[in-house]
Amino acid sequence: MSDEEHHFESKADAGASKTYPQQAGTIRKNGYIVIKGRPCKVVEVSTSKTGKHGHAKCHFVAIDIFNAKKLEDIVPSSHNCDVPHVNRTDYQLIDISEDGFVSLLTENGNTKDDLRLPTDDTLLNQVKGGFEEGKDLVLSVMSAMGEEQICAVKDIGTKT
Amino acid sequence: MGEALKYSIMDSVRSVVFKESENLEGSCTKIEGYDFNKGVNYAELIKSMVSTGFQASNLGDAIAIVNQMLDWRLSHELPTEDCSEEERDVAYRESVTCKIFLGFTSNLVSSGVRDTVRYLVQHRMVDVVVTTAGGIEEDLIKCLAPTYKGDFSLPGASLRSKGLNRIGNLLVPNDNYCKFENWIIPVFDQMYEEQINEKVLWTPSKVIARLGKEINDETSYLYWAYKNRIPVFCPGLTDGSLGDMLYFHSFKKGDPDNPDLNPGLVIDIVGDIRAMNGEAVHAGLRKTGMIILGGGLPKHHVCNANMMRNGADFAVFINTAQEFDGSDSGARPDEAVSWGKIRGGAKTVKVHCDATIAFPILVAETFAAKSKEFSQIRCQV
Repeated sequence: MSDEEHHFESKADAGASKTYPQQAGTIRKNGYIVIKGRPCKVVEVSTSKTGKHGHAKCHFVAIDIFNAKKLEDIVPSSHNCDVPHVNRTDYQLIDISEDGFVSLLTENGNTKDDLRLPTDDTLLNQVKGGFEEGKDLVLSVMSAMGEEQICAVKDIGTKT
Repeated sequence: MGEALKYSIMDSVRSVVFKESENLEGSCTKIEGYDFNKGVNYAELIKSMVSTGFQASNLGDAIAIVNQMLDWRLSHELPTEDCSEEERDVAYRESVTCKIFLGFTSNLVSSGVRDTVRYLVQHRMVDVVVTTAGGIEEDLIKCLAPTYKGDFSLPGASLRSKGLNRIGNLLVPNDNYCKFENWIIPVFDQMYEEQINEKVLWTPSKVIARLGKEINDETSYLYWAYKNRIPVFCPGLTDGSLGDMLYFHSFKKGDPDNPDLNPGLVIDIVGDIRAMNGEAVHAGLRKTGMIILGGGLPKHHVCNANMMRNGADFAVFINTAQEFDGSDSGARPDEAVSWGKIRGGAKTVKVHCDATIAFPILVAETFAAKSKEFSQIRCQV
């Protein structure tokens, strides 16, 4: 773990838990869930009532919010699932370094330099292309369970 | 018309109508039912079945065949020319008995026949057991919560709303399966740990023996099978609530994208087909007998294994399946003779009867009646 990352975590989480428990039966589509230690967004929920298979169950199909991998889980609906705290923070883009890191302006006027450019091609082109054209860009950064990633870009007007 | 011609016509008609019959006296059983003037005597009543006709006679024949299985000893056969000294030993030949394969379907374990099976396994009266997934889980579930008597005509939708499942005229509450889930999942977790840490390769019969050990309940036939080391085979182990539990467990343990690192609980059916066929192949000098209740997988699995030793020597089928659709379930023993699963000269019978009626009567007149002999002779082997 790099120094920068450690620095960021202590600042953002301030010792708070990365997840909270929620009863499986109350988790809905588009909600979040932890499957195999990964924070995911739920894309499909199906429930089966109590029956020959035992307790009522919830079947979740979910997408890892960082790497887009599909994951599945089945949980008795009365059991608690871990749900990740997912935060989105907007930062203004200051610079893109040669080694693929971005420099961002935080709310309190500091810079944040520990994030890589997004891996998604469309998003990458929007960020790089927009920056080269001199647009004023705001990047949305999603963070959960100690990981963070640029997930969206907004153009707030051309630099004057 | 002349008189002579008239007589010759009458003669030929007579010879057709009054064709002289073969005398059956002495060669066939005389049909005769039980006379209740002798009072209510169940033993005599059951003995009268063989002479009653129809399926009563078939049940009577089944009783006779099972008794032949139990009475057979190697000493009844002449030693072969090339057999060893040890094989010629009279005491040894007296100790070699018929190996008995018992197959039954899951509904019978849901029913009270489970307790008859438990009696047989408890006293080591059978050597190999074959059943389906329900035949395993229903035995275990009954140790956790009872099955109740209902009615064949109870409507499904209303039962569903009450959380009750119907098996014929029996009812099993959903709650029983919840208890089963609570009981079995930690056992699967433990078995998974053993697979990873001790490199145990589970087979259905090993899983079943483990479940019998874990349930630790004298009302369970699986407990006694474990205790008496009687193998219970179930190649369809996943086709039931057990399969549901294994399905759920596969989400907890096991990653289909990463099978090398995280394989989940693995159950090897090939290991068991080798063990099952081995039971027939390695029966050696013993004769083999099959007692099969119901059809489907247990019936075929027992017969198929016996094919590996050129067929069983005794076969008793009890089921109500019909043969006109070509199903193995409905096939009479003679069809299995054509496949080499039963020997040509074998003693066979199919009793067309619900096994819940026929099997306890059969056991009463065979295994149970000889219980003393079992404790003396067969346990030494």
